[in-house]
Order: sequence, then structure tokens, then C-alpha cells
Amino acid sequence: MTSPVLDVRRLSVSYQTGRGTLRALRNVNMTVQPGRIVGIVGESGCGKSTLISTIIRLLAPNARIDGGSIEFMGRDLLSLESEAMRALRGDGISMVFQDPMTSLNPVMTIGRQMTDIQHRDNRSRADKLARAARLLERVGIADPAEQLKRYPHHLSGGMRQRVAIAMALMTEPALLIADEPTTALDATLEVQIIHRLRQLQQDFGCAVLFISHHLGVIAELCDEVVVMYAGEVVETGSTREVFLAPRHPYTRKLLECDPGRIEESTRHLPVIAGKLPDLVDLPKGCVFRSRCDESIDICARKPPELEGDDHCAACHVVGQ
Amino acid sequence: MSELLKVRDLRVRYPVAGGIAAMLDRNRPSYVDVVHGVSLDIARGETLAVVGESGSGKTTLAMALCGLAPVLAGDVRFDGAAMSKARDQHLRPDRRRIALMFQDPVGSLSPRMTVRRLLSEPFRIYSELSQDPDRSVLELLSMVGLSSDFADRYPHQLSGGQARRVCLARALAQKPDLLIADEPTAGLDVSIQGEVLNLLSDLQQELGLGIMIITHNLNIVRHVAEQMAIMYLGRFVEQGLSELVFQHPRHPYTAALLAANPSTNFDVVPERIELTGEIPGLLQRPAGCEFHNRCPRVQPKCRASFPDRQSSNGKQGWNCFHPLP
Amino acid sequence: MSTRFGFLKEVFASLRKDPLGMTGLVIVVLVLLASVFASQLAPHDPLDVDVHNRLQSPSWQHWLGTDQLGRDVLSRVLLGGRVALKVALVAISVSLSAGLLLGMMAGFGPAWLDRLLVTCFDTLRSFPTIMFALAIVALTGPSLNTVIGVIIITSIPVYARIVRTQTQALRDQDYILAERAMGASTARILGHHVLPNIAAPLLILASMDVPAVVAMEAGLSFLGLGVSPPTPSWGSILNDGYSYLRNSPWPIIAGGIPLILVTLGFTFFGESLRDILDPKLRGKGEAS
Repeated sequence: MTSPVLDVRRLSVSYQTGRGTLRALRNVNMTVQPGRIVGIVGESGCGKSTLISTIIRLLAPNARIDGGSIEFMGRDLLSLESEAMRALRGDGISMVFQDPMTSLNPVMTIGRQMTDIQHRDNRSRADKLARAARLLERVGIADPAEQLKRYPHHLSGGMRQRVAIAMALMTEPALLIADEPTTALDATLEVQIIHRLRQLQQDFGCAVLFISHHLGVIAELCDEVVVMYAGEVVETGSTREVFLAPRHPYTRKLLECDPGRIEESTRHLPVIAGKLPDLVDLPKGCVFRSRCDESIDICARKPPELEGDDHCAACHVVGQ
Repeated sequence: MSELLKVRDLRVRYPVAGGIAAMLDRNRPSYVDVVHGVSLDIARGETLAVVGESGSGKTTLAMALCGLAPVLAGDVRFDGAAMSKARDQHLRPDRRRIALMFQDPVGSLSPRMTVRRLLSEPFRIYSELSQDPDRSVLELLSMVGLSSDFADRYPHQLSGGQARRVCLARALAQKPDLLIADEPTAGLDVSIQGEVLNLLSDLQQELGLGIMIITHNLNIVRHVAEQMAIMYLGRFVEQGLSELVFQHPRHPYTAALLAANPSTNFDVVPERIELTGEIPGLLQRPAGCEFHNRCPRVQPKCRASFPDRQSSNGKQGWNCFHPLP
Repeated sequence: MSTRFGFLKEVFASLRKDPLGMTGLVIVVLVLLASVFASQLAPHDPLDVDVHNRLQSPSWQHWLGTDQLGRDVLSRVLLGGRVALKVALVAISVSLSAGLLLGMMAGFGPAWLDRLLVTCFDTLRSFPTIMFALAIVALTGPSLNTVIGVIIITSIPVYARIVRTQTQALRDQDYILAERAMGASTARILGHHVLPNIAAPLLILASMDVPAVVAMEAGLSFLGLGVSPPTPSWGSILNDGYSYLRNSPWPIIAGGIPLILVTLGFTFFGESLRDILDPKLRGKGEAS
């Protein structure tokens, strides 16, 4: 087996809040192998944003890393000097955000922004522009030379997201992190972008970490999936296996809630009863117990560990 | 079922903000038609889902029905009577019978008011404070499944799902006959989205409300709406019984939209109809059929004229010269 | 209303954590008290001329000395403060109310009204204040009311423009649209929904404006365009002291210090009020 691009081991992160210590991530394990697309699914409050911020080391000032490690291509990210980390963020890891308008500078042309991020290369401006145009073409933008002269507000949402993806791929990163990149887009564009991402990933050979709450998008794009709940990884495995034969009760319920999977038209949609546990005052045992129908005695006493070879789940009931 | 809302050929036209550039450019239109001839019917106790991508004019349609957008032409009948066109809203007696839930629930709640105050706002507007306002507020909260503790919270202290329930409670305070919900599940987690939609459906049965849901989430349409309409650049290009439209879309745009819906169903590989480009801006409305520049079935005729409405036994209608068989 | 008192309590609690703001509040309160009870506090009649004891240095008899006519400077400063604050309060409250009304009309009304009002505001603002004051004084003669009038006319456009911008920003907010959708009248929307949301920045602006107006009154009186002698005003005290600076520095010091105190007090207070009322700064730490 080749060494992974990203290896997160027993990562725990907490925030100091007015109410006490909010334990946002607890013992998170996940791996991204080279050339794979890994999806992270989870509802609001599950810790996916904290996980991403920790990986790129842009955590809020009140956050604290309580333990664990993050290895990127064999280097320990958590012990890296901030200068080296900054270099890595531009070079080895790139990001695409939900709203491309916030990551593009509104007062600079697309061309200027795309040449500026090549500042580490010693090439002529014309070369850099030509390279930018080639990349725009690869993300599916027609007439790239013309688009380079325009400003972000001239472009539609779908075009801006394509530009953002082109910029992220500019440095040929080993890992592309895409944080809900299609959430703000319409369905027909969403499909276009997903297919383009898949194709680009194959061309560039980079690994992709794709965050979404849209189960259908994850199913279509990702090779593997990590399901998170209340700051913990509850299930991992190949997307097909996890979605066709979910092991963790939360994953099962989440999939049941997806109205797209319900064949018969129904007036009453399924929901997950109960609410997220308070991360400041965590329950003993399994975090999902209060909403789970299958819990047994041990669930109240001991938090389950993520177990399994390829398809893992953190559940006492599955383990038995 | 009795007819509640009947709209025929509704048009909404906004003036385009002129500037010196607009004055110099004579070809630039001075107005933009956001809703371009929409007809629809909603009966009591029935739900119509309006589906479309951003920029299709679906929110403007909702605004127009609530008197918040400049209606250019069209006939709107509510409960059999023509809606008055009085500009000042509070002069309109039929005003309170249509309630609107905004897309952004927190944004549509006044940030400096408590939930209690927000929910009694409709009573104040209609000068109905003689009754016990506090009791009405608690009743409304329980109707939408919120405990009385919520009465003293401010909007920013509510989660997305809770804020949506408060908006629904406020809409119900109007004692409406028709409820228009703009993207009622936008930004909600899947596990919560069901709660909100189930609540809507329960209240509809209890109160006999007519509901118009505006959404781009096709997955929910099948479950919540008997009727659906697909909107593209201000027109309904296809509308009819949801079941029929889902089973057998006739307009190529509907077909593309339905196929574009990513699903977790691995066994059914959808036949994708890849659309090129994006929805054109309203200022660049294409001639003829507005969809022709993205349509995989385009013919010369489509560029020249807009197709008339065709229908199959009145249950499904579409505007296309070359519909899917 | 319990919420309103709760809000005042919250403001006070935040002020206590902010020493500069608290200092400002203490100064503001002291200055206000001193002006209200000026006649009771003044040890002498401020108009009482005593030429034998002119230009004296501070003594137990006259804490801040006497001026060129032998009048007690402390008494004059106290009564001058009353004049200054009267001008400030009257001028600011009138121009604030008028600015509020006109600004909301421009911001919420039809486009033609907006254009008309904005043109008027801009025309008024294009005159330098002092030129404007000179013109008015030339027409009506110097008096306290002239000073108030000049300040009102020149301040209305400032407030009205801010109110207009804020109203326009609020007009398209969903919660204002929601009110309209429910059928609320324009008056109700403006009074119950727009006003509470623009009140905070306006109050801050008004409190920061007090020293500016006080200084303007002093300036006009210094130039002899304000209150007519022998009524005391900080400006006229300064002017008198200026002519006799070689003989005694005390009138200048006595007239200058309250001006500085008022400026610092209201500015500190206004700035900490801004930090407290800014919704973006309030309630931080609540978000997780």
C-alpha cells in the first residue's frame, strides 16, 4: 500500500467558550490515499469545518488542539513552523470554498489574480497568462483569453466556481480540499461541476477531500466517504458500501431521511428524532445513544471505537 | 376542492436602473420582465411546487402575489374576487389572507424584537389587540412545535429550523388561506428538513391551507406537492400533476433538471442530459423559445417563435415545439 | 417595558468594564449637573461688576480669579456652561428630529422626493458654516437664538443624510419586506422597524456632536456673533481673557478647561457607546 497523502490520527480539538470547553473534535481518524476522492458528510455541528480548519492550520484563536496528529505526505502538519505551513498551503494543499465571491478579490481581474498566485515561478507574465488561460479552458470556460480580462462580478456563480477551481489547481497540489463547492449552485450546474472535478482529478492525479451535506453529490463523486456526527467519525468506507449497506445507525437514519431515496410518494418524511448532544457537556458513552433505537447497556457506559478493516463503524451493536 | 387562487398571464416588469451608460446605449432596454406570463391555479388544501434555478423569477412571482412587486398585467383572482391593485398595502382588505414565508428565515425577523413581539406583530397590524395577545403567541408557538421558552428569544438566538418555525407561526398568525413558502428547506440539514415539511403538511390538513412552495430541491417536490410547475426565465415551461411530470417530463428543460438531480441510488444510472452554458440574464432574454440556446433538441423554428401551450388531458402542459415523446 | 431596562442595565454593565467610557460618563454627568444647578452653585452674581478687584488671581474669595471688570470667573464659567449646553441640547435635538424625519422620507419615499431632498441637503452643506453664520448674523443681529438657528440649519443635512443611507439599507431587508407583505402601513414600518434600527448610530453621533456644537457656540461668541454681552459664554470668557492675556492667564484657563473637558467627556462616552451598541461587537462569544 502506498503512503497516504493525508493521515489524521486521533485528532481532538476544543474551543474555549463562555460556557466551558466545547469539544468540537474527538479522536478523529481519517486517511486520504493518493488519487482518491474522499467525501466528508455530516450535518451542521458535526465538526467538518473544524476538521478542515485544523488541517490547513487556520483555527480560530479560541481553539486548542488537544491531541493527535495530522500527517501530510509524511510531514507532521501540527509541528510545522507557521512559515513552512504557509508555503504548504499555497503549494501542496489548495482549497475551494462554498462562495467563490469571498475567495476572489473583487477589484482585480481574473487574469491578474491568476498570475499573482504564480509568483513563485520565474516566468514571464505572458507565459503565466497563457498558463492561466490553459487552466481556464480545462475547467470548461469558453473563450478563456477574454475571461482573463474580466472582474469576478462579471461572471456568473458557476463560472466563478470554475475560476476558483482553476486557481486551486494552478499549483498542482497533492491535495485539493473542496468545502461545499456546489452548495450555492443550481442543480444543472452542480452536475456540470461535479463531472468536471472528477475529470480534473483524473488528469491532475491529485487527491480530493470533498465536504458536502448533499448525500447524492457525495455518492456521485466520491470513492470513499467519512460520516461525521457531533465531532466524531462514526463510519468510513467505500461510498458504495457505506451507502448501500450502512453499518452505523446514524448513517442509516441519515440515508433514510434523504427524500430522493424514498420511492413512494409520501406526505410524511422521516426525520431523526432528538437533537445533537451538547458538546460542552458530553454524554457518557456513545454520542448518538439518545437518538438511537438500537442502543444496548454498554452504549451508556463506554464510547465505541471506530472498528473494521475497510468499512469501519463506531458502534457497539455492530461490533457484536 | 374549491378554487382559491387563479392567476392568468401574470407579468412583472421592473424598470432597469438607468445611468449615463444606459442613456447613451439606446439598445439597452429600460425595463426587465422578470415574470413573463404565468398562469396557475391553487385549490384549498392543495400544494403547488414552483421549481426553477436561481434567476428564473420564482421569488419575484411570490412577491408579486403578495403585492411586493410591480405587476404589469394579468388577472389575479383570490377566492373568486379580483385582487385590488391598491399600491398601499394596508388599504387592501384581502392582504392578510396570503401569507409569505421568506427564504432567509432569520433575515425576515426583525433583529431587535423578541419572538413574542414578532408573533404579536400581525395582531398589531390588524388592530386585534383586544384579545389576549400572550395566549395567542403561546398557541402559535405550540402549533409549530416550539415550547413557550422561545417567546423571549431574539432571532439570532434561534437555529435555522427554529427560525423557520417562528416564521411559520407568524404566517399563521395572519390566519391566511394561502401560504407561500419560499425555499422552506434551504440551508436545513436533511434530518430537520423533514420536520419542517411534515409540519407544513399537517397544518395544511388541519387548516385547509392552499400552499405554494418555491424550491430548487426536486427531491422534496414529489412528496409535498400534488401540482408542480417548472419555471425558466419568468415562464412556466411545464406544469401539471407532479406524478405525471416526474414520470414523463415533456419539456427538455424539465427532463434535464430531473436528470441533473444527484442521487444516492447507485443502481439506477441516470441518463444525463448535459446542458451547455447557464441560464441567460434577464436583460439578454433570447428570442423565440427562451431555452433554445441550451436545448439539446433545438430546431430553427425554436429561435423564431415561442411555442404555444400544449397539454395532455388538462393534467400536464408544456411549451415546446419538440417535446420528448 | 422590561426589555428596555434590561438593555440600559447591559449598557451600564459594559461601561463599567471600560474605564475610559466610565470617565466620559462621569464627566458628562458632572457637567450636566453643574449646568443645571449653575445659579445655585455660583458663589457670586456673574454680572456683578467690581472694578477694584479686576484681573485677580485665584483666591478663597474668587476660586478662578476675576476678569477685566472684576466679575467672578467661576460663576461666569458655570453659567456659560448652562448657555453652552442649552445651545447644544436644543440645537441637536431639533436638528436630530428634523434630520430623522427628512432622512426617512428621502430613504423610504419615492425616487423624486429622494432626489429633491438630497439636492437640498447638498446645497445647504456646500456653504461653509462660518460664512453661513456671518450671513445670518448680518441679517438678524447676534443672539443666542441665531446661534441655535445656524447650528440647526447646518446640522440637519448631516443627520438627514445618515438617516437616509441607513433607511435605504434597511428598506430592502427581508424583515421590512415581511412587514410590508403582512400589510403594515408605512408609518408603522418606519416607526416600529426602521427607527429602532437606526436609533443607535444616531445617538452615538449626537453624543459625539455635543462638543462640536459647544465649540461652535464658543467660537461664534468669541467672534462676537453669538450671545450678546454681558451674558456669560465660554466663548466670550475666552475672548475677554484673550485681550488681557498679558495681565492674567486665569480667564483663558478657566474658559478653556471646561471646553476641553466637555470634548473629552462626550467623545469618550460616545466611543464606548458605539462599541456597546454595535450589534456586530455585541454578543460576540455566543457563536461557537
